[in-house]
Amino acid sequence: MTTHENTAAHADHGEHAHPNYIKVWGILVVLLVVSVCGPMLGIQAVTIITAFGIAVVKAYLVAKNFMHLNIERRFVVYLLLTMLAFMLLLFGGVAPDVMRHSGRNWENIAAKAEIERALAKASGVAEKKPAEPATPQASSAADNYKSVCAMCHGEKGEGNGVAALSMTPKPANFADPAFWQTRDKAHVEKVIREGGPAVGKSPLMAPFGARFNAQEISALADYLMTFKK
Amino acid sequence: MQKPIATTRSMAGLPTGRLAVWWVIASEIVIFGGLLVSYIMHRLGHPEWGGYASHTNTWAGAFNTLVLLSSSLSAVLAHQAAERGDGKKAALLLRLTCLGGATFLGVKALEWSHEIRQGFVLSTNGFWSFYYTAAGLHALHVIAGMIIMLIVSRDASKGRELQRVELIGIYWHFVDIVWIFLFPLLYIAK
Repeated sequence: MTTHENTAAHADHGEHAHPNYIKVWGILVVLLVVSVCGPMLGIQAVTIITAFGIAVVKAYLVAKNFMHLNIERRFVVYLLLTMLAFMLLLFGGVAPDVMRHSGRNWENIAAKAEIERALAKASGVAEKKPAEPATPQASSAADNYKSVCAMCHGEKGEGNGVAALSMTPKPANFADPAFWQTRDKAHVEKVIREGGPAVGKSPLMAPFGARFNAQEISALADYLMTFKK
Repeated sequence: MQKPIATTRSMAGLPTGRLAVWWVIASEIVIFGGLLVSYIMHRLGHPEWGGYASHTNTWAGAFNTLVLLSSSLSAVLAHQAAERGDGKKAALLLRLTCLGGATFLGVKALEWSHEIRQGFVLSTNGFWSFYYTAAGLHALHVIAGMIIMLIVSRDASKGRELQRVELIGIYWHFVDIVWIFLFPLLYIAK
């Protein structure tokens, strides 16, 4: 190794050429102004470029000129880049589950309910609809009923759904007060969970214990009681 | 006073002190990176967070960005002075950098007081949890940097341990870079 190379390789021990720091600072301030003004145009693409694109440029300028990464040993740069790559890996691995609120065999009910509640509140809809069920469970029970039960038990729980036409015996009529005289909530929950045969009734009433959790079944049972006349 | 061996030794072609600072920063990237990456994915999955973010004060954030950028300038000028052997000037510039840190924290305190009075606290919702956690963790780093800087500047003013001026500077620039990303994430994107 020649003396010159040796000096360059060990720049860390001695004095090195300093860039014009005040000029670098000036550029950073100009970039800051642009990143604040960009979003004022209200164009989403411009906001993203000016806010985040400029952040990357600013970080680069600071790392290069102030932290002197441009004259630092290469392995330091690689070390830091490796850490950043780990962050990309984290994002790539986890983001699909966090950013989406449902997928095959799973649904993030809490996140969906929170988004719906917050957006409704933001647009002032919540105050106008006091008749809506107050809890997210109640609203999802209505949805669950529509998508699973209404086909046979009917939209209004009267046991006259489209599929009921071909059924013998007919599906239960939740609007009939007589139905509720001999059944309590626990009984209804058991039937939803384990199906008709569990209480000596028709096997056409399938078990839904695998599809709904205990909370959802309880909410569904509550919902069925609202059909009672 | 005898110098610690670590101060006088080189490792992997770097003075051990600087190697240690880079090591700290590498782990800090994962700490802040993990937090910010989590924030970004939640933010993208929650369209309502834009509304929450509209309550943050962009001008306070922009002013603090200017303060930190300027304090980074004084930190790097302190490093330049230290390299030239001017410990007194380096110490002065480091203390100026601390003043920047104090200004930053003062603005932050005003901002947070205002937001807390409006009812936005750590437990209000996911956005505010991330807001206080990320900015709070960053502020703790500012405080830590200021304490170390005051210790380094005390030695530097007597012309001792001048290599440490660069080391604390590197850390301070990193804290500045974290803020460069926090600013658009918490204040600009609405």
